[in-house]
Amino acid sequence: MLEEKVGPSEMIVHIGPQHPMLPGPFRLNARLRGETVVDSEVEMGWIHKGIEKILENKTYLQGITIVDRICYLAALSNEEAYVGCVEKLAGIEVPERSQYIRVIVEELSRLQSHLLGMGEYASFVGFVSMFMYTIKEREDVLSLLDSITGARITHSFLRFGGVKDDIPPGFRDDVKRVFPNVRKAIDSYEDMYSTDSIYRARTVGVGVLTADVAKDLGVSGPPLRATGVPFDIRKDEPYLVYEDLDFKVCTETAGDVYARIQVRLDEMRESMYIIEQCLDQMPEGPLFAEDTPYGKRSPVMRIPAGEVYHRVEDPRGEMGFYMVSDGSDKPYRVKIRGPVYPTLQTLPPLLKGVKVADIVAIAGSMDTCTSEVDR
Amino acid sequence: MVIKNLMKAVKNIYFGPPVTRMCPEVPTKLADRFRGLQKLDKSKCIGCGICANTCPNNAIKIVKARVSPGSDKKRWFPSIDIGHCLFCGLCIDQCPKDALSNTKVYLTGIIRWQHEDLLFTPDMLAREVDINAEEEAGEEVSRWTPQ
Amino acid sequence: MELPEILFNPLVRGILGLCLMGAIFLGAMAAVWFERKLSADIQQRYGPMRVGPHGVFQLVADAIKLFTKEDIIPKNADRLLFVAAPILLMGSVFLMLVAIPFGAVVINGDTYPIAATEMDISILYIEAMSSISIVGIFMVAYSANNKYSLLGAFRNFARMIGYEVPLGICVVSVAIMAGSLNIVQIAEAQSPLWFVVLQPLGFIVFVIALLADMGRLPFDQNESEEELIAGWITEYTGMRFGLGFFAEYIHLILGSMLIVLLFLGGWNLPEFLTSNLILGIILPTAFFLGKVVLVMLGIIALRWAVPRFRIDQVVDLSWKRLLPLSLLNLGWVIALGLLGV
Repeated sequence: MLEEKVGPSEMIVHIGPQHPMLPGPFRLNARLRGETVVDSEVEMGWIHKGIEKILENKTYLQGITIVDRICYLAALSNEEAYVGCVEKLAGIEVPERSQYIRVIVEELSRLQSHLLGMGEYASFVGFVSMFMYTIKEREDVLSLLDSITGARITHSFLRFGGVKDDIPPGFRDDVKRVFPNVRKAIDSYEDMYSTDSIYRARTVGVGVLTADVAKDLGVSGPPLRATGVPFDIRKDEPYLVYEDLDFKVCTETAGDVYARIQVRLDEMRESMYIIEQCLDQMPEGPLFAEDTPYGKRSPVMRIPAGEVYHRVEDPRGEMGFYMVSDGSDKPYRVKIRGPVYPTLQTLPPLLKGVKVADIVAIAGSMDTCTSEVDR
Repeated sequence: MVIKNLMKAVKNIYFGPPVTRMCPEVPTKLADRFRGLQKLDKSKCIGCGICANTCPNNAIKIVKARVSPGSDKKRWFPSIDIGHCLFCGLCIDQCPKDALSNTKVYLTGIIRWQHEDLLFTPDMLAREVDINAEEEAGEEVSRWTPQ
Repeated sequence: MELPEILFNPLVRGILGLCLMGAIFLGAMAAVWFERKLSADIQQRYGPMRVGPHGVFQLVADAIKLFTKEDIIPKNADRLLFVAAPILLMGSVFLMLVAIPFGAVVINGDTYPIAATEMDISILYIEAMSSISIVGIFMVAYSANNKYSLLGAFRNFARMIGYEVPLGICVVSVAIMAGSLNIVQIAEAQSPLWFVVLQPLGFIVFVIALLADMGRLPFDQNESEEELIAGWITEYTGMRFGLGFFAEYIHLILGSMLIVLLFLGGWNLPEFLTSNLILGIILPTAFFLGKVVLVMLGIIALRWAVPRFRIDQVVDLSWKRLLPLSLLNLGWVIALGLLGV
C-alpha cells in the first residue's frame, strides 16, 4: 500500500520484525524523505500462537496455565480476567481473604511490569545503564512473587473461587525490607529523568497524543491517562476489593512521551501503597468458600451455559475476556480483547513528521507487548 | 544535568558491588514454593490417572512399573515427559493421595543430552534411579559442580 | 644527541614501524577490555571473567573469532568501495599516529619526546588526518547497498561537518597561546600552568567537539542500535568489521592523548622529580599515560551514563552553540595574548 505512493526523493524502510531493539516482533513500514517520516503503517502477526483456539480444547482448569502466557509480563491480570469470567458464569463467590491476596499479587505484577517497561524505554533512547538499574530492582519484586506463587513469570496461581496458596509466613518482613529500596530507586529515577537535559530534549513535546484521538481509537491505560482522561477500571467498575482501598488515579495533561513515563512512575508508587494497605486490612479466614464444589482440587467442572464479558486493569490498559459457554467442561468460545492493539494503531497518526530516531522512542513509550497483540 | 548522571555512574564503579552471580558456580536462592521436578511416592500412588487428565500438555502417561526395587509385582504409575512439562504444578495439586510432591530440582536433575532421555520413568520420579541431582540439608537441590 | 646510523636503515625502520603498529593494536585491545569492565562496573555486574583472570584474554578470543568468520559481500554492493573502505579507516588512524608523541624521556635536563616524526605543523596535520575518516565511513555506508547504512552515512556527514569547525578554532586558540603549531612545543609550553586553567571555555568546547568527532555517545547517531540496527557497519562481517571496530578504539586512545597534550599539561613534571636519571626516563611517560587513562575513563563513563541526542539536535548544538563559544574563546585568547600572558 505504501509502495505505490513513493514520491521523488523518498524511500521506504522496513523497520522489520527482526530488530535488536523493537518492543516485540512487528513490522513498521515507514516512508522517509531524508530523515523525516512522511507516512507509516503497522503490520502484525508474526507471533500468532492461536491461543483462542487452544482454549476451546482445554478444560477450564487447564486454561489457567494457558491464559498465563498471553502476555508473560502481566500474567496475573490475564488470569484474573479469565477466572473472573468463569466465576460470573457459575456464580462462584470468592471469600475476602482470597480477594485481598489476589489484589496483592496483581499489584506486584503491575509493579514489575512497569519497572521493566520504563527500563526498556530508557534503553531505546540510548541510556542502557538505566535498564540495568531497573532490572536490579525488579529482581527483588520477582523474588517476592516467587515466594507467594512458586514461579517468577508464569504463575498459574488463581483458582476458581480463591487462590492456590496462602501468603507465606515471612512475607510481611520481606515486604518491609524490599519496599523502601524500591521507593528510593523510583525517586532516583524520577530525579534522573526530570533533570537530564538530553533526556528532556528527546522526550518533551515528542509524540503528543490528544484526548480525542485516543478516545476515538479506543486507547486505555497509561497512554490515555497521560492525556488527561481519568479513566481507570479499578475506580469506574471496581472488581475484587478495590472499593475499600484508597488510591488515586494518576493523570498528566501533556500527552507526550515524558508524561507517559511520569504516569507509570506515579502508578508504581500507588501500587506499593495499595499493597501495604492490603497487608494491614487483610482479614483471617478460609481461602475458598465453605460449601463450594470448586476448591483447590476439582478437575472436572461443568459451567452453566451463558455469555459474559469481564474486564480488568492490565498494566497496559483494559484487558477483557468474552466467554461463551455451552454447559460442557470446555468453553465454547473465548474472545480476548487486548489493550495493546489500539495503542499500536496510534502510531501512524503520531509518526507523521518526526525524525527516524523518534520512531522507536514513541513506539517504546506505548509499552507494547507484541505477544498480546497477536495472541 | 548531564554531570549528575555521570557522577552517579562513576560512584557506582566503586560503591556499587556486582549484584549478578557467576552462574552456574553460585547457586540461585529459590523460594520454598518453587516448582521444580516432581517426586513420586510409590507407596501412596493408586494409579487413578487424575494427574494425566489434568495435565494441560498431556505430558503424563500411566505405565506399568515395579512396586519397589527387587519386587516382581507391577502396578500403574505416572511417567512424565519433561520435554513437554510446563512445571505448572496442577498434577501435584490434584493428586487425591498426595503421592506427587514438589522439589526444587531445576538444573542438573533434568538436563539431558538426548531427547529420548527426557521421558522420566516412574523409577526415576521415585528417585530409585539416580537422576544426577544432589542433596543439600536434607532436601534435593540442583547444583553444578565444575568438572 | 645524534641518532645512531642504524636507525636510518629502511629495514630497521620497517621493523620498528611494525612493532609500533602491533603495540597500538594491543593498546586498542586493552582499551576495549577497559571499556567492557568499566561498563560492567557502572551497571553493577561482572563483565568478562572467564577467559584468563578477569577476562584479560577475552579480546584475543574475539579476534580469533573474527578471523575465522565467513566473509560475505552483498550481491548488489559496490565491490571496490566495500573492500577499500576499511583500509581508508585504518589508514587515517595510523597517519594520525605518526605525529603524536607517546611520552618523553628526560636526560640531563633535555627532553626528548617519543614520536615517530616531529613536524612543524603537526597539530594541523593531525586534524587533517582525523577528517579522512569521514570519507572512510561514507564509503563503508554507501557501498553496502543497505538503507540503514545509508541513513547512518547521512547522519555522519551532518554531524562531522558541523563539528570540524569548532574543533579547528579551539586548536588555533591553543596554538596562539603556545606560539607554534608543533605539538611538542605546545606540550612543553604548559610548564608552570596547564592550558585548561587559562582557557577553560576552550577546554569544554574542545572536549565536546572531539567527542562528536570520535563518534562516541552522546553523539553516536550513525551507529545507534535502536533505529539503524548497527548503522554504518551493518553489512560487515569478520575481520572487516574488526578493522572498523579497532579503528574506532584507536581513535579513542589518540583523541584522549590529544586532550592531554593540548590542555592537560602533557608530560611536564616539576624539576626536582626529573633530576634523577632513572626517574627522568620513566616518570614523564608514566605521568602522561596515567593522565590519558583518566581521560579515557571519563569518556567511557560518559557513554554509559547519558542518553543519546537526535540528529537535528546535534546539528543545532554545533552551529548555534559551539561555534559562537569557540569564537568567544578565540577572542579571549587574543586578549590574553595582548595583555602579555
